[in-house]
Amino acid sequence: MKKSKEAEVEIQITPMLDMAFQLLTFFIMTYHPAPSEVQFGMNLLPAQPSINMNEPISTADASNSDVPVGLKTLPTTIHAAGGGDIARITLEANEIPDVKALDQELKKIAADIEKKELLYEQVLITVDPQLKYSELIKVIDVFTRNKLTKLSFAELTDAGA
Amino acid sequence: MSASVSGEIKAEPNLTPLLDVVFQLITFFMLCINFSQENFDSRVRLPVSGSAKPVEAESATGAPEDRLVLNIDRQGHLLMLGKTMGIEDAIKQIKTEAKLIKENFEIAGKKVDPAKGLPTTVVVRGDRDTHFTELFQLITACQANGFRKFEFKAMSSEE
Repeated sequence: MKKSKEAEVEIQITPMLDMAFQLLTFFIMTYHPAPSEVQFGMNLLPAQPSINMNEPISTADASNSDVPVGLKTLPTTIHAAGGGDIARITLEANEIPDVKALDQELKKIAADIEKKELLYEQVLITVDPQLKYSELIKVIDVFTRNKLTKLSFAELTDAGA
Repeated sequence: MSASVSGEIKAEPNLTPLLDVVFQLITFFMLCINFSQENFDSRVRLPVSGSAKPVEAESATGAPEDRLVLNIDRQGHLLMLGKTMGIEDAIKQIKTEAKLIKENFEIAGKKVDPAKGLPTTVVVRGDRDTHFTELFQLITACQANGFRKFEFKAMSSEE
């Protein structure tokens, strides 16, 4: 044996490794990759008086502050089928079969709004109480895609149906 | 030499690189943990939407936005504070939340503009099968209590 004054210090890595493996196991077991959520942000005001988009602005109403001047509204009604899916959509007076056709119609309206031929202040979506949220999101999606974001909602009553 | 005397060969594996790898893995998992999901309820299956915007954690000013998360299950029950609430209880809860938010603002010396409504954003996390009628009742209750800013949640793709 060598006569050496050097003391050999060995750090025990094994317990640290054990602990690290335990931590690793914990994180693996609790790891749940975050689902990528998206959102539609909007300002929803309570129901406002509405007038048709094509109607001329009444100067008489505007001068009288006691009479609430209606918002130029694009009325949309969504009717639900038995399972809560979309049965048909009514955009102004037009009957539309599905969301794809609604997209086409909204493209035309959005183009008219851009050309200033139409003035719109809100889209009032009257929805069948039985419509599923997933179907409503499809409709919101189409309106948002066409930059019609001033949405408000109402519930379709038996009288409205 | 002791090895030659006893005939034993001392073979010690070098564990340091293994420990390095394990620590890197731990770091990865720690960074991936999403603590902000505490308000999100896995019982709610969100609908899928292609063109919605990704979630922004902070407002334009850089400060985290105040949010009221409404998890609504397929029966239209509100899942909040570990409870499953029916519509009537849910409406009461929304009223309480609005009152608390108003009081907090008053304590902080801020004024709530009634025309603009409460600055808190209501995050609607509805199940894809929730009927509109329940959803609408909750939205109307929020509006009646001064909430104006809403966010409707969806998934960018199917899980």
